[in-house]
Amino acid sequence: MLHWFLNMARVMRKEFRLVFSSPGTMIFFFALPLAYPIVYAAIYNPEVTRDMPVAVVDRCRTAESREFVRHADATQAMKICGYAADMAEARRWWEEKKCFAVIEIPADYSARVARGEQGVIQFYSDASLLLRYRTFLQSLTELQMATDADLREIAINTLGVSGMASAGGSSIQTEAYFLGDPQQGFASFIMPGIVVLILQQSMILGITFLGGASNERRRLNRGLDPLAVQASPLVTVLGKACCYVILYIPLSIYILHYIPVWFHFPHLGNPLEYILFIFPMLLATAMLGLTCTCMVAEKESAFVVVVFTSVVFLFLSGLTWPRYAMPPFWQWLGDIIPATWGMEGFIRINNNGATLSQQIVPYAWLWCLTAVYTLTAWLVACLRARVSLSALGAVKSN
Amino acid sequence: MLWQVIKREIRLLGSRPMWLVGMTLVPLFMAFFFLSILGEGLPKKVPAAIVDLDHSQMSRQITRSLNATELVDITQKEESFNAAMDAVQRGEIFGFFVIPDNFERDAIGGRGPTLTFYSNLTFYVPGTLVFKGFKTMGVTTSGRVVQTNLVSKGAPQEMAEVLLQPMTIQNHPLHNPWLNYSYYLSTSFLPGILELMIFIMTVYSIAHELKTGTSRQWLSIAGGDIWTAVIGKLAPQTLVFTVMGLGINSLMFDWHHFPLNCPMWHMAIAMLLFVIASQCFATFVCCALPNLRLSLSVCCLTGILAFSVAAFSFPVESMYGGIAIFSYILPVRYYFEIYIEQALNGFPLYFSRHYYAALLVYPILAMLAAPLLRRAARKPVYVP
Repeated sequence: MLHWFLNMARVMRKEFRLVFSSPGTMIFFFALPLAYPIVYAAIYNPEVTRDMPVAVVDRCRTAESREFVRHADATQAMKICGYAADMAEARRWWEEKKCFAVIEIPADYSARVARGEQGVIQFYSDASLLLRYRTFLQSLTELQMATDADLREIAINTLGVSGMASAGGSSIQTEAYFLGDPQQGFASFIMPGIVVLILQQSMILGITFLGGASNERRRLNRGLDPLAVQASPLVTVLGKACCYVILYIPLSIYILHYIPVWFHFPHLGNPLEYILFIFPMLLATAMLGLTCTCMVAEKESAFVVVVFTSVVFLFLSGLTWPRYAMPPFWQWLGDIIPATWGMEGFIRINNNGATLSQQIVPYAWLWCLTAVYTLTAWLVACLRARVSLSALGAVKSN
Repeated sequence: MLWQVIKREIRLLGSRPMWLVGMTLVPLFMAFFFLSILGEGLPKKVPAAIVDLDHSQMSRQITRSLNATELVDITQKEESFNAAMDAVQRGEIFGFFVIPDNFERDAIGGRGPTLTFYSNLTFYVPGTLVFKGFKTMGVTTSGRVVQTNLVSKGAPQEMAEVLLQPMTIQNHPLHNPWLNYSYYLSTSFLPGILELMIFIMTVYSIAHELKTGTSRQWLSIAGGDIWTAVIGKLAPQTLVFTVMGLGINSLMFDWHHFPLNCPMWHMAIAMLLFVIASQCFATFVCCALPNLRLSLSVCCLTGILAFSVAAFSFPVESMYGGIAIFSYILPVRYYFEIYIEQALNGFPLYFSRHYYAALLVYPILAMLAAPLLRRAARKPVYVP
């Protein structure tokens, strides 16, 4: 038993040496997880989009219509960039990117409101980016409710029906709260998920890169890797995984704790709990990476095999597109990716202030995945050991 | 001579399965992936909860109406705020709607009770949709009560209706009235993936010659002319990638009926230019860093960052100026602009002329940098 642990420690020490002697691996294991969160945070840090240029086509030209435009200008989303003579001119402004939306006030707007009919204003908005549209929509709802309240008050006062003023004013109030991202910022929503994905992808890239290097050496050396430690497949797999997980624990603390703190992202939850939570994800990821090494014939193939999967895993995780709305096959595929559960659990702990006990489902999944991928990594190692063994036999018989 | 290089390249492409995977299977898989995962275009019926503390006829009616909206699906009824919050933290629901106790009494008595709703924005799309559903319900409920009160105070029915909403804003999201999410994501992420794979494959095919030392043979077949060598090497890939790109376009515009408000050839030309521009971007990187691992790293880095910095979701005008510049070094940014202006919004071609022109700058840059590559190809140095 002691011998077994000593062997594992030897594999681990050798793996540390390999990591630190290969600049390529160092890039994946250190530069990538250290730099990427900062780069992403810098891209998304403005959080919201505001004061988007809006053109006005005012056919009404009354005090009421100008009042409405002033209120529109005061909203967070809109900034009136000018009055266009007609819709054709407004359209040309849109085509020239001078505005992203057009307010059209019909000629009979104030007349209708004064007559006690409903005034209708048209709002045409560019729909090329969802975030822009969403921001417009929110300001429009507020604008409409405020204008309605003003007009209602005036109407009731002019009608002079006794007691009605109180009836109009006492409508039911609504209050909306946003959980997890109270400022409704883009970075606060996307960063906690992205950083977990960065942990997984950088680790897999590094491991497959190391694996590719080992496979190259093996090919040049008649099926034997001269830098490998002689040990049983299970010991090799466990020793290597230990090395990677030990390297990634400080990185996880940096990514999961310091990045949200520095950039003022939502950051609730107990540090001990999310580190405990992320531990099986690191382990499962290490084993998944070791399994994937069978797919890379040379170092550089790691790029071809791994890089594009980042986009796939991002979508499978449900961060941008909820998992319940996916076809069952994609839900199932998402289930077997460690980052899916890692993101889900970490987001809930970090943004919603959940406890580890509330994340029992993702936590259990992560441990299951650890078990499964340990098995597959072991199988891959066994296969490789058999090839090496026969190569060794061939060398000896020569 | 050019033909000889092309023939050699075709032989090389057939020699390893990696080329087939990277050039055709990955883009095909991704197209299938995006179009099927985003299937309906809007994730309706978001799981949500109701916290009904009033238990009155009115509160039950609100619950029924909420469940009848297309955005919200009331999957659970919770007895307290804490229980509902626990369900959010467990991830069972994306939001909840609270009806306070004595709600019906206060509403009819004109004491202005408050309806509160919580949406979990850590998952943006369902969080936003559930907010929208709740908000609509809050506003209509409020309106109904005002109307009832006005009528009971003696206002005529029609006047009460108008007083409810003296004015209204009709909102028209241009060219995507359904707010189909797939129109945003598939049309930007698929070219993004294509660009990433073009980067990787181009760098791989050029720099791998340097790594294995076959670059001298490659250059000599091209008669020592680096431009012939590069063009001959990239031409077969241009063909394959353009066919893939056009296939993806036809899958989106013909098969899935994405909005296409311009003639198809506007997008086809854009795709061809985009493929060539992406290849030239990668070639340029190879010239500057003639080392397989380094140039691959740089191209993967930019290719992956493109999904964020090319502003597919967060608008470029809201980014910091120093960051927004990087958006414009990527070919996919120009292709995305062309998609928006041509296919989605149907602007006259004149307004997009700059983007087509920008895509033509990349080949010039690559040609100017090519002599650097010639030096490296003559004396390949492999740094392990």
